[in-house]
Amino acid sequence: MIKFERYKLDNGLQLIVYPDYSTPMVALDVCYHVGAKNESPERTGFAHLFEHLMFGGTKNIPDYDDALQHAGGENNAYTTNDLTNYYLTLPKENLETGFWLESDRMLELDFSEEKLNVQKNVVIEEFKQRNLNQPYGDVWPLLRELAYKVHPYQWQTIGKEISHIADASLEEVKAFFYRFYAPDNAVLILSGHVDPEECLKLANKWFGDIPNRNVNKAPIPQEPRQQEFREMTVERDVPDTALYLAFHMPDRRQRGYYVCDLISDVLSNGNSSRLYQRLVKEEKLFVELDAYVSGDHDPGLFIVSGKLAEGVTIPRAKAAIWKELQHMQQELVSAVELEKVKNKLEANLVYSQMNYLNMTQELANFENIDRAERINEQMVIYRSISSADLMLQAQELFQETNCSQLNYLAKK
Amino acid sequence: MIDRTIQPPVSETGKPDMLVPDTNRLSNGLPVHILNAGTQEVTRLDFCFDAGLWYENKPLQAALSNAMLQEGSLNYSGAQLAEIMDFHGAYIQFAVDHHQGVISLISLNKHLPKLLPVVEDLVKHSLMEAHEVETMIRRRKQRFLLENEKVKVLCQKKFSSVLFGDEHPYAQTVQLKDFEAITRGDLLGFYACHYRSENCRILASGKTDPNLIDLLDKHFGDNDWQGLALDSRRFFVQPSSQKEQRVVKQEAIQSAIRIGRLLVKKDHPDYLGLQVLNTLLGGYFSSRLMANIREEKGYTYGIGSSVVGLKEAGYWVIATETDQSYEEATIREVFLEMKKLREELVSEAELYRVRQYLLGEFVRDFDGPFAQAQSFQAVADFGLDHRFYEQYYQTLLTIQPADLQALAQKYLQQEDFYTVVAGA
Repeated sequence: MIKFERYKLDNGLQLIVYPDYSTPMVALDVCYHVGAKNESPERTGFAHLFEHLMFGGTKNIPDYDDALQHAGGENNAYTTNDLTNYYLTLPKENLETGFWLESDRMLELDFSEEKLNVQKNVVIEEFKQRNLNQPYGDVWPLLRELAYKVHPYQWQTIGKEISHIADASLEEVKAFFYRFYAPDNAVLILSGHVDPEECLKLANKWFGDIPNRNVNKAPIPQEPRQQEFREMTVERDVPDTALYLAFHMPDRRQRGYYVCDLISDVLSNGNSSRLYQRLVKEEKLFVELDAYVSGDHDPGLFIVSGKLAEGVTIPRAKAAIWKELQHMQQELVSAVELEKVKNKLEANLVYSQMNYLNMTQELANFENIDRAERINEQMVIYRSISSADLMLQAQELFQETNCSQLNYLAKK
Repeated sequence: MIDRTIQPPVSETGKPDMLVPDTNRLSNGLPVHILNAGTQEVTRLDFCFDAGLWYENKPLQAALSNAMLQEGSLNYSGAQLAEIMDFHGAYIQFAVDHHQGVISLISLNKHLPKLLPVVEDLVKHSLMEAHEVETMIRRRKQRFLLENEKVKVLCQKKFSSVLFGDEHPYAQTVQLKDFEAITRGDLLGFYACHYRSENCRILASGKTDPNLIDLLDKHFGDNDWQGLALDSRRFFVQPSSQKEQRVVKQEAIQSAIRIGRLLVKKDHPDYLGLQVLNTLLGGYFSSRLMANIREEKGYTYGIGSSVVGLKEAGYWVIATETDQSYEEATIREVFLEMKKLREELVSEAELYRVRQYLLGEFVRDFDGPFAQAQSFQAVADFGLDHRFYEQYYQTLLTIQPADLQALAQKYLQQEDFYTVVAGA
């Protein structure tokens, strides 16, 4: 059981405090409920570009990093399709500096044309470094576009194309801030060597007077049920041919999500898993083969991805994967096998509690889905899942009309 | 109203609690260092063998014999080993570096009695069956080919051989043909000689069980796997005479850049001050290189520098990836930043900021049992102990702008640096 306190400020800001007195450090995390899925299709990559601008300073605190480093702190941030998360760690004595810094940039940023231009450039270089200059760097964009026709999950957080980033104007940047960066669209999470009462006091002192901005988010267009098998083939200068299968699956609030997660664990978590033992080790059809859930908060994808061994064709590889998927649909997973994946989840939960910073991010993630309390409910759900549940879910999940297949051929 | 322009009072970060591990010996003399800390019932065990690249007679020997340990032993097949680990939610990892081959086990304490017999078997009775070796070589070869597609990998490889010379084990010189040349016999020979109790140390960290030593003694304390202590081997560093080198990768969109030089090791008195100077130059987010090349000019997503202290040599490296059109300008700016450090005194304010940042990092380096163990190991390998960290702490508190300038004048001369670029 992970024990944490929850409070809510008058302006709508949620506050969560998770004390862990084994560390001399504290972590302060602000999660804004805005991600790439809230962007317009003509301005993709905006949430992530904005994350960069959040480090450009405010009128009151021109240099964020300078102030943080004076207090012995360190920080970073990331943007996903669902959220934007900012976190910092400090020696416990200097906790208040964290409140001061994060509240001031929630209050108001110091925007300028010059800062925007530099960060656009930085993000464009990041785009090249991640997507263009890496072998297999364009797999995700291709797969997303194939699997999603309506939902904004069809683009990555870095953006669909460089021009979307290059064309962003200062006016749009400002509008984005006031639209999404607000106490009523965020959660503040503290962990490590913290006292909940003191955190509440400091939260009121620093965040309490930031106005509620009546955030009203446009509903996200939901993906209609896929009706047909989709396939795409590309050829690239890479060492191995790769095959990707993507299936639509339930969202994070559904029990079905957890069932899918267990299916992926049976198939591919650890070296004793089915795909590794049978198709990599025994049949040697693949050099690498994984099954995993994307973890997106709206309905996401169940992915099977593999790199083919030399001489193996796409049809042969595909048939071998489908044979394993059908196996999941037709036969019950043994009690021992199910116990194994559950044990592993349980041990991971213990390991994760050894890291106070990691805990803030877990809590932020669940809070963004809908409520942080899910962190304690997940193990109960996992424990309640039976082999029959896995079989039924697999029958629904692994259908050809629910599948998008990407053939990524190595140029010879 | 609060005045938001004023930073809340900041206190100087104190010195972390540095735990000194408790050193024991098993019945056969094998040293076990125990770092007991933390709140969760979890133990990490690192079995460290003198089995790194330093000891190879043939490329790939160290890496492959280490990786093969998980592929089957006398009483457990590779599949069974994986099954047992997964069933208990434990992780077993295999890694090699320049000097060591390491097996790491992370487990809930309650499962250790079931897991250690398996670890014992794979350490003492590895089979390295022919067909498993073949599969492993094939998979590693594929990975090698993939990595060689990346400009930063090509650049790092070239940089290492420029700095150390192709014959030195610190140079990354593995080639495709080495995957054809390596045999099962090479691996068995290396394993039989290096994975022995005479060449082994165990480091345990976490909230360890009081019976841990007895348990380890039962499985690893016998005299049935001693082997011979190894002769120390010597290699000479032979840096290239050509200061600027280029690796061509057709159609690369970005170029990878490495600028660096050989440097003193951890046991040299300048090493501690160099850590501070390096942080200022490129070792943290607000470093001079980041401020200039990323935040002011936008040439790159990131640029960083590190002072690396290996057991037998140290080096300094500045690394970045940038669009080809920014390549020249980026290199020019790096050398300009070095020049500034040689010619101008660092301001008190900037030094204060670096000092505060490093004090915070110092506490992080000792936060939690695993971090404590890692910090211990980082100096123990050099025959140093916690006194190294005490001196480091003193250096952080007392170093002055003039000291940093003197170090810059001694170590940041442009003519001592190599520049390697990989790109189109």
